[in-house]
Amino acid sequence: MRPIRLACGVTAVMLATACAASTGTTTAPTPDAQESPGYLTVADEKLPAGGTLNLAVHIDSGAATGYDPQLADVATTWQLLSLSYETLVTIGPDFSVQPLLAEKWETPTPTEYVFHLRQGVTFSNGRAMTADDVVGSLKRLLASKSVWRGQLGPVKSVTKDGDSTVKVTLSEPYTPFLAALANVPAAVLPMKEIDDKSVDPATTLLGTGPYVVENHRQDVSWTFKKNAEYWAKEKPAADTLNITIAPEEAARIAALQNGGAAMATLGNVDSSTMLAGAKDVKVVTQATTDFYYLMLNTQAPNSKVADPKVRQAINIALDAQQIADVALGGKGKPTAITPAGLPGACDPAALPSAAKSVDEAKKLLAEAGAQNLSFTLSIFNTEPAPAVAQVIQQNLQQAGVTVKIEQMDEASWAGKVYGKAPAEFDAALSWFAGYADPGMVTKWWNPETAGFNVGFMKPDKELNTLIDAAGEQPAGAERDEALAAVCAKADADAQMIPLVTRPATVAYRTDALSPSLYATEGYGNVLRLVADARVKKSR
Amino acid sequence: MKKLDRLTVGGLACLAVLVVFALGSLVGAGGDPDAIVGPRLQPPGPGWWLGTDNLGRSVLPRVMEGVGTTLLLSSVAVLVTAAVSATFGIVAGYRGGYLNELVMRLVEVLYSFPAIVLAILVAAVLGPGQTAALASIVLVTIPLMTRLVRAAAVAVSQRDYVTSAVISGARLPRVLGRHVLPNVAGTIAVQGTYALSVGIAVEGGLSFLGFGVQPPQASLGVLIQQGGTYMIAAPWLILGPGVVLVAAILAINVVGDGLRDRLEPRETRSLT
Repeated sequence: MRPIRLACGVTAVMLATACAASTGTTTAPTPDAQESPGYLTVADEKLPAGGTLNLAVHIDSGAATGYDPQLADVATTWQLLSLSYETLVTIGPDFSVQPLLAEKWETPTPTEYVFHLRQGVTFSNGRAMTADDVVGSLKRLLASKSVWRGQLGPVKSVTKDGDSTVKVTLSEPYTPFLAALANVPAAVLPMKEIDDKSVDPATTLLGTGPYVVENHRQDVSWTFKKNAEYWAKEKPAADTLNITIAPEEAARIAALQNGGAAMATLGNVDSSTMLAGAKDVKVVTQATTDFYYLMLNTQAPNSKVADPKVRQAINIALDAQQIADVALGGKGKPTAITPAGLPGACDPAALPSAAKSVDEAKKLLAEAGAQNLSFTLSIFNTEPAPAVAQVIQQNLQQAGVTVKIEQMDEASWAGKVYGKAPAEFDAALSWFAGYADPGMVTKWWNPETAGFNVGFMKPDKELNTLIDAAGEQPAGAERDEALAAVCAKADADAQMIPLVTRPATVAYRTDALSPSLYATEGYGNVLRLVADARVKKSR
Repeated sequence: MKKLDRLTVGGLACLAVLVVFALGSLVGAGGDPDAIVGPRLQPPGPGWWLGTDNLGRSVLPRVMEGVGTTLLLSSVAVLVTAAVSATFGIVAGYRGGYLNELVMRLVEVLYSFPAIVLAILVAAVLGPGQTAALASIVLVTIPLMTRLVRAAAVAVSQRDYVTSAVISGARLPRVLGRHVLPNVAGTIAVQGTYALSVGIAVEGGLSFLGFGVQPPQASLGVLIQQGGTYMIAAPWLILGPGVVLVAAILAINVVGDGLRDRLEPRETRSLT
């Protein structure tokens, strides 16, 4: 009987596959990395430069907002634009601020920053970068509708002092200023070309960075060529960078295994297990300050979560440790709104909601008349968000809250969550980059600063005052106290509930590539050191 | 009346077991399919007889729920398909003319799309979920069933008893409902079983692509998609749903074959 033979064959194949499991996870830092604290792996500089580096990533973002760095508002776009644009300062290992286009800087007073520009820097069209480009870029950013404008803090003036010095004056001290300058929206743009309209930054990438765009096919691929004018003569190591967009995790894994990609970003927290035994493939996990958070829409008509007691009950019922252990396979950790892992961040175990029980959540729901609360949780389908959502569902079920999960692709999800004011969702799940200063991401809890969340979040004056106060404090014990007050207030407000840090997983072929990767990352940019990567063999 | 052969009886028994399996999920046998019961990715053992998945949920109740979801979805879809195809096929076959041409051309348009492409198109319009899966299965299975019902209706319409009914003044609904429909019912029943297996395959395909049922609800497609991701590290995740899916499709096809032999003994036709 043919069908029976077929069934037996299928079952036999399944059993044979089942028995083919192998072992050998490879997440430990390389010997080089062990000698270089702050790194997961360090590129072998003895290898010759040149060659083609093939990368696979999950999404081609940026088309919605265009490619103007100042208007880019998601980490995946920052990652891409960082290949062609650079900032005055950058983030080094362990979240330290390092020089980039500014060779050095001084802070004569807490409100003054004097940047000494690097000499010999040119844009990829060959024109030398000037102080006017720096001043013009920052002024353009401050005058724009960029979401990043609020992160720069209370900038009073930006002026040049000679051809190679730029002075920024703040109206008040603002501790995260340098960390805010280190992100792509604060990149130095070719202002002369932008002003004379010979370049439109929304469509053309023209920066001082190591790579220049050669070709782009939306949702298919990007090809970058080495910037021949790049100021650091030994960089970038690879001549060509091919980035393939492969939304399916399985496709990226397959590309790694068959050599089609030398490096890939992965979403599944079990990637190292799934790739265990894969020949010449190494999987590493970066600890990040990025974190998942739950949005509760208080601005929708007839919002089910408008009552603070309901939101607090949800916050209490959420078990961040279980989310970290189960949904993220132990690779994330609970966090308050100051990202866990950053110096000065609050202890999530010390939050008021952490000390309360599910019974207290039920009591709050009863007091709010919401014993049979049910709502829809909108999520995007990129791993591990669906897993996080399902653990949230299980957590809230313990408090008698019914959650229906609505899963969609990232573009549809963004349209639903950010597309209208008031927004048309009950609850949604996303993640924030956590940056390099614990006060930065707290600014997104002020919708008047963030902008993107006015459709679902009501401003809280007391919280906003606390956030601003923490920003003004210099690093130290007093600032830590100020941040603790922000964390407690945001915990009680619970319109956006921080959950767990988001690990970033990268896999690469050891026979094809010797990359450099920081052990920590705060801006969602796993490609931060791609210019250092040495290609062993190109396919 | 010819007796059912042993293979058909075996197929029916297999389907019965699957239905009992699915009904067991409704009464909570096997446990809560969504509950986190143990460590992640544990191999089969006491407490989780088919192992645990990436969220520490027992695979057994999830497979039971998945069988129920997939069978229910496919069965409802096939009933809708049968109703639509019977209506249009009988009317087109009996009346002929422009109506027949119109129905057949529409059916050919639907038929020209590969099943999974049509299903993805529907899911893209309606959004992911059970509604999209249901509509997709209906649209995928309608063309073949309509053509076969129409062909049967054409043959039945030439029969003397139909002519007699018309001459004796029977109205159109009576002729179609009393004289044509009962005589094409065998074709509908046989084709229904094939449509059921196609439906299961389409649901599996859609859920595999993320357009089908939404988490945490399990369907065979969802479970196989997840199991495929962990095939090397946790093969028990794909083993259970994979075997059940193969068994369900085989059983339905075997039963369909048996019904065809019983109801249409003179026709010879390939399974595919």
